[in-house]
Amino acid sequence: MRHRISSFSRGIAVLATLWLGLPGTTLASDFDKVTLAAAGKTVYFNAWGGDDKINAYIAWAGKTLKERHNITVKHVKLTDTAAAVARILAEKSAGRDSDGTVDLLWVNGENFAAMKRADLLQKDSWAPTLPSWTFTDAASLPAIELDFAVPTDGKESPWGRAQLVFAHDSAVLPTPPRNAQELGAYIASNPGRFTFPQPPDFIGHSFLKQMLIELSDDPAPLYAPVDAADFDAVTAPLWAWLDAAQPNLWRGGKIYPANYPALRQLLGDGEIDIAIAFNPADASAAIESGELPDSVRTYIHEGGTLANVHFLAIPFNAAAPNAARVVADFMLSPEAQIRKADPRVWGDPTVLSLARLSAADAAAFDALPRGIATLSELELGQTLAEPHPSWIGKIEAEWQRRYASGN
Amino acid sequence: MATNPANGRASVQTAPESPVGAQSAWRLITGLLLIFCLPIGLGLIGILLPAAGFFPALGQHRITTDAITAFLDTPGLGNAIFLTLWCGMVATAASLLFSFLLLMAVTGRRSARWLTALSGPLVTVPHAAIAIGLLFLLTPSGWLMRILSPEITGFVRPPIWGLVPDPHGWGLIIGLMAKEIPFLCLVGAAALATIPVAAYRKTGASLGYGRVASWIFLILPLLYRRIRLPIAAVLVFSLSVVDMALILGPGLPPPLAVLVYHGFIDADLTARLPASAGACLQVGLVLFGMGIWRGGEYLCGRVTLYLRRSGHRFRTWDPVGKILSTIALIPALLGVGGVIAAGLWSVAGLWRFPDAWPATFSLRAWAMTDMLLPLIGNSLLLGIGASMISLALVLLLLRLMPSTATRPARIITTLIYIPLLVPQVSFLFGLQLWLSWFRLDGTWIALLWVHAIFILPYGWLILRPAYGAIDPRLANVAASLGASPWRRFIRVTLPLMAAPIGTAFFVGIAVSAALYLPTLFAGAGRIDTLTTEAVSLASGGNRSLAGAATIALVIVPISCFILIQGALRWRFGRFAGMRGGHLR
Repeated sequence: MRHRISSFSRGIAVLATLWLGLPGTTLASDFDKVTLAAAGKTVYFNAWGGDDKINAYIAWAGKTLKERHNITVKHVKLTDTAAAVARILAEKSAGRDSDGTVDLLWVNGENFAAMKRADLLQKDSWAPTLPSWTFTDAASLPAIELDFAVPTDGKESPWGRAQLVFAHDSAVLPTPPRNAQELGAYIASNPGRFTFPQPPDFIGHSFLKQMLIELSDDPAPLYAPVDAADFDAVTAPLWAWLDAAQPNLWRGGKIYPANYPALRQLLGDGEIDIAIAFNPADASAAIESGELPDSVRTYIHEGGTLANVHFLAIPFNAAAPNAARVVADFMLSPEAQIRKADPRVWGDPTVLSLARLSAADAAAFDALPRGIATLSELELGQTLAEPHPSWIGKIEAEWQRRYASGN
Repeated sequence: MATNPANGRASVQTAPESPVGAQSAWRLITGLLLIFCLPIGLGLIGILLPAAGFFPALGQHRITTDAITAFLDTPGLGNAIFLTLWCGMVATAASLLFSFLLLMAVTGRRSARWLTALSGPLVTVPHAAIAIGLLFLLTPSGWLMRILSPEITGFVRPPIWGLVPDPHGWGLIIGLMAKEIPFLCLVGAAALATIPVAAYRKTGASLGYGRVASWIFLILPLLYRRIRLPIAAVLVFSLSVVDMALILGPGLPPPLAVLVYHGFIDADLTARLPASAGACLQVGLVLFGMGIWRGGEYLCGRVTLYLRRSGHRFRTWDPVGKILSTIALIPALLGVGGVIAAGLWSVAGLWRFPDAWPATFSLRAWAMTDMLLPLIGNSLLLGIGASMISLALVLLLLRLMPSTATRPARIITTLIYIPLLVPQVSFLFGLQLWLSWFRLDGTWIALLWVHAIFILPYGWLILRPAYGAIDPRLANVAASLGASPWRRFIRVTLPLMAAPIGTAFFVGIAVSAALYLPTLFAGAGRIDTLTTEAVSLASGGNRSLAGAATIALVIVPISCFILIQGALRWRFGRFAGMRGGHLR
């Protein structure tokens, strides 16, 4: 009993330090206290669970955290991150301000913006207080503090990077189209062999944004809130392109695959010729596991493709917020990031700055295999920034209005 | 229950034992039931308020019609409603027709055993497993097309057209039929046992009517009346299904229930308000569908009456009936084929179109199934726990209930069926709000409770006729030997009901295994079952793993079925002769 009281008061002390301490100035020893208070806790980590490679990686992280810090990580596998946001909202509306069901959430873009708007995040700027934050460099990768043009305010910790790439079966389609116009022409002459995941799926949204940026004469308005722009005029080229493409999409544009793995499966089955992915190394991994033929290669469009960062956030009412920070810190550590970047494990590019790592860690990153279908960093060099998140809601609504009514 | 001349036994109008303190007892039971089914009422209230624009968490404190107008503005809502009605009505009507045809074809023949032996396991296969199987079988690059290509079709690449998934909902209709035909066959076979079919058929034949005509004119009217409630349950389910529609259904627009479900999980949090309005509309749509069904019943009744009065004997219908009853097997066979396809995919390594078989086999997916083990444990624990709660309640109700003809008894019966008659998507979000309020979401208590609510009507459906069919003289003998009412119930009635209790138990496990939305919402994502995992794997992810999860999803309830049947035969086999005539 005495032991429990003392650890309880220690927890209070740690919390007090965190609340009083200025963001960014927390010392490693303070974080040690956080880690100490986190021992024995369970972190309900809500993360999209549709990919067994990612699930296996999370299971590995959980095992490591259990061994080192006695933290139990329970992976709550989501089909849609929005469902978890919905649950947190339901909890807020029911007045459940502590002891919530979500401790840590894999999130970015629109979901993060929605959580920030509805005050569903931890109050303090905790991400820069993580010891592993010192390995990042916001100057060379601004996206770790700007989530789809929305400032993160330190309320989410970067986890990985993503870039949109296209995959094609070189045995069927030797020279793939390299821009929106060529893609449109390809769809017109090869009916039924191209599609994208149905919006509001993340990849589906990304494809629409990619096309819009490519087709726009001036994409500048896309990086400011949508209310400031003439939506119809800015998006007109996208709808013209889609109107032309739609009848010749897979299944006549009347059915869309649910998400990225379903799209990849269609490429593997030979139902479509081109797939879209948000992980440059995914095609190589899928070839390795037999899900895609070994003739599949990836490419990006001439003007570059969308790139963004995905994050880990802690809800305002998390039951184990300290333990969640320890998990987020571990996920950001060079050890975890090296493993995550390995295409045999997951192949998710790192958010760390190689210049800030120890020589050994930097060498470990360099030594990772690239995979048969993965482009080099140089080839991936051309990137496009994500538009302001306010755009996608209106684009989605307009897409639904135009193509989802079943007429 | 009804008179049973086939057994030459007296009519059993009342329960075998007179109820104790009838008035206070039925109040107690009604109270108990009300509390038990409280979550449904609370859940409905929990969507009515947001539908009326009241949602404090989003700063909506005033009653407005905004949510309703917003939902009515949903693109394609009209088509979604039409699609829902189309799929729901066609699936229910066709399932009913086909199950009647099958029952007609086998009743009184040796094949009757085959039908029940096949239907039993098929009923236990969760909807999600059937849907995933059909997907593996029927897509343009599915197993069926791989078998037929390129030899028969000439395709070296999958065609750009296909049956599943399709914009008109045929895949969903086939999936629903594969599940509902076996269910209606089982329920129908149980009801037929209370009808002197052979006697009626002889009467029909002596008047010169063919087999089909005798069925339609003499037996169907009696049978239909006995299974109206299960049919209503099938109709409500078909009009509001989410998991099957997610896997097989059209997406642009999806059926109404899926539209509402998407609203509840939308990243834009304000989408909950119109979704709540949609959940209310779903209730209205189900009522409307039932109205149409009632109209159809009336029409069919008139047509039958007209045909009967015409005096024709309709002997030429018999061969047609035979052909149709063969066709009636197709949906179930596709269901079985799909499960086999799932099994094949679970061990497939490389499998390129148009190869009929995988080029290489791999146990990789099964090696990864250690992650399925805790899910199997959760599914079993939930199924067994919730079934025990439900069956205990049903038995208590049977013991305490006043005679079946009274008004209280009718109220109780109606209450019990409510979980099957309210669309799931219409109250689960509201329920989640309340559960979260009481800090019960994501707990085993909440999950067991919600699962038990859905098992209750099935337990009642199976146990009540069994209870009614017990020869009251057995309890009388026990009473004359000085046994108290409770002692008679425990020592005489329960052992006599061992077989139906066993059936109800495995049906409970199967019902629990099939629950997708309730598990998702009440489990708050914290407690996963095989079903939630299989649906999420089916919507993407590794096909081998989805196949393995599907097989596990099929094996768990079926192995329970086999275990329970075996245990019963071993322990209670010697009482077989004392059981009521129609119990299985």
